[in-house]
Amino acid sequence: MGGFPATVDFSNPYFAVLVLLAIALAMSVGFVLLSQALGPKRYDRIKYSVYECGVDPLTPAAVRVSVKFYLLAILFILFDLEVTFLYPWAVLFRSLGLFGFIEMAVFVGILLVGLVYAWKKGALEWQ
Amino acid sequence: MFLGNLASLRYFLPEFAVTATILLLVVLHVVTKSPKSTGSGFLSLLGVGAAILLAGVSPAGAGRSIFEGMVAYDGFAVFFKVLTSLATLVVIFMSMDSRDLAGRSQAEYYIFLLSTLLGMFLLSSATDIVMLYLALELVSIPSYLLAGYLKGQEQSTEAAMKYVVYGATASGVMIYGFSLLFGLTGSTQVAEIGRSLAAGKATLPMLLAAVMVAVGFGYKIAAVPFHMWSPDVYEGAPTPATAFFSIGPKAAGFAVLIRFYFTVFAAEDPGTGLWRLTSAVDWPFLFAALSALTMTVGNLVAVKQNNVKRLLAYSSIAHAGYMLMGFVLLSSAGIEAILFYLVVYLFMNLGAFYVVVVVSNATRGEEISDFMGLGSRAPFAAVVLSIFLFALTGIPPFSGFIGKVYLFAEVIHRGVYWLAIVAALNSVVSLYYYARIVRAMFLEEPKDASAIPVPAVSFAMLVLLAAPTLILGVYWEPVARIAADSVRMLTF
Repeated sequence: MGGFPATVDFSNPYFAVLVLLAIALAMSVGFVLLSQALGPKRYDRIKYSVYECGVDPLTPAAVRVSVKFYLLAILFILFDLEVTFLYPWAVLFRSLGLFGFIEMAVFVGILLVGLVYAWKKGALEWQ
Repeated sequence: MFLGNLASLRYFLPEFAVTATILLLVVLHVVTKSPKSTGSGFLSLLGVGAAILLAGVSPAGAGRSIFEGMVAYDGFAVFFKVLTSLATLVVIFMSMDSRDLAGRSQAEYYIFLLSTLLGMFLLSSATDIVMLYLALELVSIPSYLLAGYLKGQEQSTEAAMKYVVYGATASGVMIYGFSLLFGLTGSTQVAEIGRSLAAGKATLPMLLAAVMVAVGFGYKIAAVPFHMWSPDVYEGAPTPATAFFSIGPKAAGFAVLIRFYFTVFAAEDPGTGLWRLTSAVDWPFLFAALSALTMTVGNLVAVKQNNVKRLLAYSSIAHAGYMLMGFVLLSSAGIEAILFYLVVYLFMNLGAFYVVVVVSNATRGEEISDFMGLGSRAPFAAVVLSIFLFALTGIPPFSGFIGKVYLFAEVIHRGVYWLAIVAALNSVVSLYYYARIVRAMFLEEPKDASAIPVPAVSFAMLVLLAAPTLILGVYWEPVARIAADSVRMLTF
């Protein structure tokens, strides 16, 4: 029992990946630690302030974003995906025939119900 | 052979019924002027009822792989479709009564409930890891929404937030496991993956993949150590939704756990009825440890709870642990025991939650102190709740006892005595906290002695839930036979 290999198999094709992983990890951690150890540390008020392209920050960084952005983004993804399905269907429309047409009608119909819902609920109004 | 898309449609009727109901609910919600009316509840009842009928009368015969191998149509899937639909049906009745949900938009609640049901249908029948993942998300995402349905209540929002964070992590880990499996075998078909893995020998990536996938399923059935979300979610969510979480997604989680592991990592030996392991992973020990841990943590923490919803949450964790006992042995008889226990658990657990809904409608509270003196305030509710609680404990005349007998018998038959002892000790511990509620109901004086009304529908539903709990305790053979028939899974 037990799935662990007892000895390290250097001929395994994944061994190179392991080496890469180890080097990447060592380098990224190493440089962070190095700069922490060697870099000069002179902290003052300006250094502690938020960096905003060199201009004094105007507002705190944590701003509340209206939920309407998310709503619109989700709707956008939905109909964007619809288009990605419609394109290949349109290209193959003739060979798919009636079956393809009905299938797509069902798909678009379901999305349409969703659109009507979102519309009636006022998700598309920006106040 | 795989059936094509058009030929598959006639095996997909229950799913169509649920989908059509969801769409109708959306349309009705948009066109009607009163979103708070109970019409959507009745429509959902019709839809789920239709789904049960269609699942029951669907074309019988041998199992089939439909939609080009995406979904299986077999006895196992039909069993879980009927089981989850029944649970949803009871939860809809419960929701129509619940004061938690009154005064809120109704249609959306039922849309989420039915979407989860659709996801559970697919989850119990998925045979392709892509379909499986999609189905799992279809169960999870509406569940998050249900947990947070009491908008404006801090606890409910907290429940939804915790559920999302845990759920996203678990499903992320699981899909990483899937990607490893795909990388190892080059197929997304569960059966194909199983064959491929059986041919080679066990490797570290294979072990990793198996464990990572187990995280996703363990999260769905709330097995320790992936259970942390469940008490908070159960407490914060509207009570009917809590009842739903404690049986619906859990049953579907068991369905997918069984189907996936038995197709990918094991194959049944026709001679002994045991499942021959095709990997070097010590599954019996792994799942025995998981089972013992789950029931012990669930029961020990339940002892300290004062909120009945939280108590039932931990009790439901413990019951997942009992059910995992059937999985430890990797035998058909063990799986039959799980299926039988799920049926029994459905009635006794939903019954207990139903009484909680009735009581909290009147007292606006779910603490054990709110149940004090229930024996005189609402004698019928108190008596049926006692029946459900003793059944959950597993005391002889009730169905829970028979369910446990099946689980124990398999464990003892195969000689895993230590697990049987742990489970027996756990049952004793569980008696303490279940009896605490019974004691509060009958032996303690109520703070407010006014009678608690039990509406006619609730009364009828409680009778309907209590009857199987009593009958299955003395005459369980038909259900056990159905469970045994349903184990025939599609493996080819």
